[in-house]
Amino acid sequence: MRLAKLSTFIAGFAMASGVLLLAPGSAQAVPSFARQTGMACEACHTVFPELTPFGRRFKLNAYTIDNLPQVSGIASNKEQTLLLNQLPPLSFMFQMSYTSTKSAVPDTQAGTGSVPPDALAKNGQVLFPQQASLFYAGRIAPNLGAFVQMTYDGTSATFGWDNTDIRYASLASDKFLWGVSFNNNPTVQDPWNSTPAWQTPFDQRSATAPVPGAATALDGGLADAGVAGVSVYGWWNDSIYGEFGVYHSAPAASQALDSTNLDVVDGWSPYWRVAFEKQWDRNSWEVGAYGVTAKLFPGGGNALSGPTNKFEDWALDSQYQYIGDQHLFSVTATYIDEKQHWDAAFPAGATANPSDTLKTFRLGGQYYYQRKYGAALGYFSTTGGEDSVLYASGTPLNGFANNKPDSNGWVSELDWVPYQNTKIALQYTMYSKFNGASSNYDGANRNASDNNTLYLLGWLNF
Amino acid sequence: MRTKIAIAAGLLLAAGAGAAMAQSTQGAPALAKGVCSACHGPEGQSVSPVFPRLAGQQQAYIVLQLDAFRAHLRADPLAQAYMWGMASQLSDATINDLATYYSSQKPSPGTAGAPALMAEGQKIYNEGIPAKKIAACASCHGPNAEGAAAFPRLGGQHVEYLIAQLEGFKSGTRANAPIMIGEVRGMTPEQLRAVATYAASK
Repeated sequence: MRLAKLSTFIAGFAMASGVLLLAPGSAQAVPSFARQTGMACEACHTVFPELTPFGRRFKLNAYTIDNLPQVSGIASNKEQTLLLNQLPPLSFMFQMSYTSTKSAVPDTQAGTGSVPPDALAKNGQVLFPQQASLFYAGRIAPNLGAFVQMTYDGTSATFGWDNTDIRYASLASDKFLWGVSFNNNPTVQDPWNSTPAWQTPFDQRSATAPVPGAATALDGGLADAGVAGVSVYGWWNDSIYGEFGVYHSAPAASQALDSTNLDVVDGWSPYWRVAFEKQWDRNSWEVGAYGVTAKLFPGGGNALSGPTNKFEDWALDSQYQYIGDQHLFSVTATYIDEKQHWDAAFPAGATANPSDTLKTFRLGGQYYYQRKYGAALGYFSTTGGEDSVLYASGTPLNGFANNKPDSNGWVSELDWVPYQNTKIALQYTMYSKFNGASSNYDGANRNASDNNTLYLLGWLNF
Repeated sequence: MRTKIAIAAGLLLAAGAGAAMAQSTQGAPALAKGVCSACHGPEGQSVSPVFPRLAGQQQAYIVLQLDAFRAHLRADPLAQAYMWGMASQLSDATINDLATYYSSQKPSPGTAGAPALMAEGQKIYNEGIPAKKIAACASCHGPNAEGAAAFPRLGGQHVEYLIAQLEGFKSGTRANAPIMIGEVRGMTPEQLRAVATYAASK
């Protein structure tokens, strides 16, 4: 995750007047929505951050449903010119965590100065905070609302811009809602919890544990490069959803969009999304597809012209939810298929092949009893073609075996939600394969299972 | 380029705000379609049994309930979670208009349940349970469960919703209906289910 300096953000915000900067981190839920609507968290969330059908509708409605005393103004023709919550819709989030891997990771300074080459970092990292965020989340004007998150990141010790979704929505008829979203991560605007930004239960993860080295553009790659996008969406009859948007580079802490930046989008990257949802009794089921096509200049000392690396992603997703009074159950799945055309990287010798593929699949299930005691289980897998340059061996911890990006494993989790805005989670991630192999994947005798991670999270929203 | 995006985005936001202003102050139908429908469905036909169907509900009954949510007099768990907030800023006039809007929608036709339940429910609904001094439901809610003024329509409602209300009267979480609290006291869970199934089928 890349985070901007606060001053840059303020300058950028003033300059861009509402255009969004920077890369998002992990998922959130916000009490200011509850304050604004007067509704308990359970109206919009099964257990945060997963949304209920009403939560999805609230999001698509641009976070504007309110039940607070308003400061309002009307023009002489009775048009509403101002409608502001009397108190700003602010929320605060605090996450603290403990992360321990099965084997300690190598010391980042190993082999330099007086640090021996086989030195290890201390295992068992406490982050206090892991993340601390301030949100503006709520209505701005009659049909305009925002979910804006500014985060202090404990691992980089910086303040920065995180998940952002500012949107306008309007009812065109009784059954058709349309809107516009300005956001900084493809899928952060999505109302379902089966797409990468908010996929249950995979969006709840350690900020310091080792993670596999390959991910698709849709799966955070584009967001990490720093993008801002605008998309138009429509929602018909509470069942059919369509969205089309474009993303442009908007990297953090950058004065000019020039060769100092990495992975700069050439022009505008199109993003599309279609979904169908059926609700019956206490069930809902969604099936959909989404995708993005991004042409990126490698940058990083190379001029932003000439050939680009092209990423063509398409994906399928599905979500089932049962929301009972006592028992809540959800299943989410997504499959992402990426074609990588290395028109810039291959001639420069940065890849071994002119094109590669990368595929990611995730399937997760979550159960809660009385929204208080929960358990989750998920399977994840990424596979791809062999590339001896892209997936080179020899780097301790981060190297690849067999020149393959393949990683897979399971995540299991126990949750306790003593109050609707407080969660304590104990999670264990098991890797069967990490960066291409099960054993000695990095060429320095580290096994996939050495990266198995125990993660204890305390998460408060107020 | 970035400046251009900023300007374009600014213009779009401004256009959005302008369109929003043009909508002016929302009337009750706009409120029903834009807000209430998120749970209660288009035209008051909800899908989830958590949320009651409002189409064809008695005008006076809707007014009474919205009043009770606003004043925190109806305090069953879902009323607190959803409706206390939803009703808090409604004026008397808006409540009246919302009630008129929903009461004028066409109610759902009921669907019959299992024959044994229907038979038991029909008996309780039409005759009451004299041994326990439980009055016939039909005497207030009407022979076709269409309701009358402060007595709600039950026909076409979600069975599960009706059962949840009866259980709320019994457990005391829904305390804004003194007559019903007395009526359900002596009824077994099976009897509640039977009578709810029959009433909803009308």
